[in-house]
Amino acid sequence: MKVPVIVKIAGLTLGATAFYTWVGQLVPQKEVQPPKVVEIAQDVSTDQMVKIGDQIFHGKGLCSTCHVIGGGGAALRFPDLDGVAVRAGKRVPGLTQLQYFAQTLYRPNAYIVPGFNPGMPEIDKPPVGLTDDEIKAVIAFLQTQGGKATITMGTVLPYSKEANGAGPEEMGGDKAADGGSNGAAPAASGGDDA
Amino acid sequence: MSGKRIVLALIVAAIGLVTLVEGARWLDRTFAFRSPLETPAGVEQQPPTPREQALAAKAEHEREEAQKKPYKEAEYRAFPVIGSRTAIWIVAQVKLLFAAFVLAVPMFALIIEFIGFRTKDVRYDRLAYEFVSLLSPAFALTAAFGGVLTFMLIILYPKFTNYLMSVFSPTFLPYVLLLFAEAAFFYTYYYSWGKVGKKTHLFLGVMLNLVGTGIMFIANAWLTFMMTPNGISENGAVLSVWEAVHNYTWMPINIHRMIANLAYGGSIAGAYAAYQFLSAKTPEERAHYDWMGYVANFVAIAGLLPLPFAGYWLASEIYAFSQTMGLTMMGGAFSWLFIIQAILIGCLFLAANYYLWMGMGRVDPEHRKRALIPLLLGVITLGFMVWATPRNPITTPAETAALGGAAHPILGFFGVMSAKNTSVNITILATFVSFILYRRSGKTPRVGWAKVGSAVQVVILLLAATIVISLGVIGYRVEAQVRIGLSVPQVLSVLFAMLLVTFLDVLMLRGAGSAKIHWGRMPERSQYVLIFLAVTFTWLMGLMGYVRSGLRQHWHVYGVIRDTSPGAFTPTLGYATKVVSVCVLLFFAQIGFVFWLASLNHRKKSEPYGEIAEEGGGDGDEGSALPSSSSPAPEAAP
Repeated sequence: MKVPVIVKIAGLTLGATAFYTWVGQLVPQKEVQPPKVVEIAQDVSTDQMVKIGDQIFHGKGLCSTCHVIGGGGAALRFPDLDGVAVRAGKRVPGLTQLQYFAQTLYRPNAYIVPGFNPGMPEIDKPPVGLTDDEIKAVIAFLQTQGGKATITMGTVLPYSKEANGAGPEEMGGDKAADGGSNGAAPAASGGDDA
Repeated sequence: MSGKRIVLALIVAAIGLVTLVEGARWLDRTFAFRSPLETPAGVEQQPPTPREQALAAKAEHEREEAQKKPYKEAEYRAFPVIGSRTAIWIVAQVKLLFAAFVLAVPMFALIIEFIGFRTKDVRYDRLAYEFVSLLSPAFALTAAFGGVLTFMLIILYPKFTNYLMSVFSPTFLPYVLLLFAEAAFFYTYYYSWGKVGKKTHLFLGVMLNLVGTGIMFIANAWLTFMMTPNGISENGAVLSVWEAVHNYTWMPINIHRMIANLAYGGSIAGAYAAYQFLSAKTPEERAHYDWMGYVANFVAIAGLLPLPFAGYWLASEIYAFSQTMGLTMMGGAFSWLFIIQAILIGCLFLAANYYLWMGMGRVDPEHRKRALIPLLLGVITLGFMVWATPRNPITTPAETAALGGAAHPILGFFGVMSAKNTSVNITILATFVSFILYRRSGKTPRVGWAKVGSAVQVVILLLAATIVISLGVIGYRVEAQVRIGLSVPQVLSVLFAMLLVTFLDVLMLRGAGSAKIHWGRMPERSQYVLIFLAVTFTWLMGLMGYVRSGLRQHWHVYGVIRDTSPGAFTPTLGYATKVVSVCVLLFFAQIGFVFWLASLNHRKKSEPYGEIAEEGGGDGDEGSALPSSSSPAPEAAP
């Protein structure tokens, strides 16, 4: 029996479509949900902040989309954050580790690490839009990359809403948030943990 | 009329009248609204029972509460079963497929008509007319889907649609006027074919294309604004409508869509020709539709080759707007989508080359240039394999441990952009060589410098390949910002080589001797390849439409208007591919209907076509790319 042309064409169309659909089932299947606001109690410990910051870093904050931690020396689009706690206090003269972290999250284009292009979004604004508390948790996590977390929920970060967007200078220079890169206690400006 | 009959008529009329009255009363009793508190007719009024009083009080309370209900504008409304997002997705995608088709066909129909005008070959004119005849029903379906999409947006996403309308309301009037102009130019272009002067007719075609392009540009402004918003404040207030239109991705999308529409429209027209070829009753019909399929495929491949370069531009603008969005695309949630894309494009290139190689069978065996086909097949297959290799394969923890990391120690090198850019450029070059070989089949250059010219062509192609591969290797050893920049000289070297080789080929084949081309002498499987190409192009359009739109993730307008509907999540790629397939099948079911309608129009008009032979002394490039002889050979194709 001769199969009508139209049936053959329909079969080919269905077959090709089914093949591509099948290919689509072979790749990793991940459903990406919209990020949820992370409620952080004001009395959480610094260790708890590190854990929350780790989750935000690899989730809502989208940090791991661009940054790696321990890239093994491979060519990167954005800096490897392995050991960043040590480097942060020395990157920009006049900025402490905590101030540098705050600047790089709230005002990422204020300083670009040599060898890289600008590209980091202002993390407190859409599309990422982390809250001040979430940013503190991320900084706590970053402080553990080669150092020890010292930030607390009471620390007032430069550029944050609590600081009315003021940078370290406007906040009084060294009186601004200062976690230090050596594990010293933060000297917050206006915070209750100084 | 006798008295008896009059009496009988009166009786019948009386019975009819009674029946009518009783019927009306029955309808009134059965279906008319009755308040539960109303006393039925004929029943003596009784004082209400306590239950009836309670019911009346309850009804009154509900009525009062209903009156107090405040008006609240709906943010979203649900679509049954599949959800609002998927419903809009399907309608928008099918509409876009039709819109792309109706924008593309006038472009190449006009070019073909112009070739016919210049060469005085009436067959080009007929071919252009046949292409355009596919448009009439397709236009109606595009408009219908456009209407459905608009209503569905207003119903399902009223708040967001209202916002988009508030931003772009100044563009609506020009859009509507252009739609009217497009309808006017299209129908005038179609129905005045052969009835007005050729120059006037060509002018109508030019206007149709300009108006169609204008419509696309306006619609592109709306969708690119959602992706890369511009001209608004942080909270979405409009600052400049022009800046909202002229956002980061507007012009790259305009250009990318124009080229992609051409490739896609060519492939769909090729599928039509293939369907007609396979249904042909006479050798003349086979010859005609073989030629039509060849022309359509030529258009599709001509569009496909520069498409990746337009894609680079679009991607670079996405990165320029937001590195986060760019990295989400290439390294985040959508990175595996590009492996699926690689499979599709690999299939496209393999199928397109296969069709070209089979096309050499149209000339007699001694004129075929098939020696390089195994090499080309090897190069394209290798390019396909590299392009489809992921950086990090899907592995179990044990396999990852055995590999010593997420990436394979050797194959992992093929998963990065340096390898991908290199492979796609080499694949494009190989396809171009296939086309040149097809073009050369049956041709005998008569210029004295033909051997030197051919050698120079080979050197140019090898040089381009060497540049592409060398820069690809260098890309592994340099910093990211340098590596990204290397793709530009890779692309330019390929483009330059293609232009230069084509230029030399045109000069060399000027006045060349030409063997007969037996149009219609193609195996049936070649026509199924054309249909496969059309399905693959359509599927690719659907997939890339998804990634462009999906990149916004949980934003209606990226970073400004957040999507808070239940469909705000980014679905799995498996789900996305199923939706794309549904769109493709819906489209083909309807375009099949369009083909059938068009075939009704043309089948009876088919004229003896015979065999088209290319004679020497043609007038240049188009003479060899498209048959240009005006003296069909007597014997029919087998």
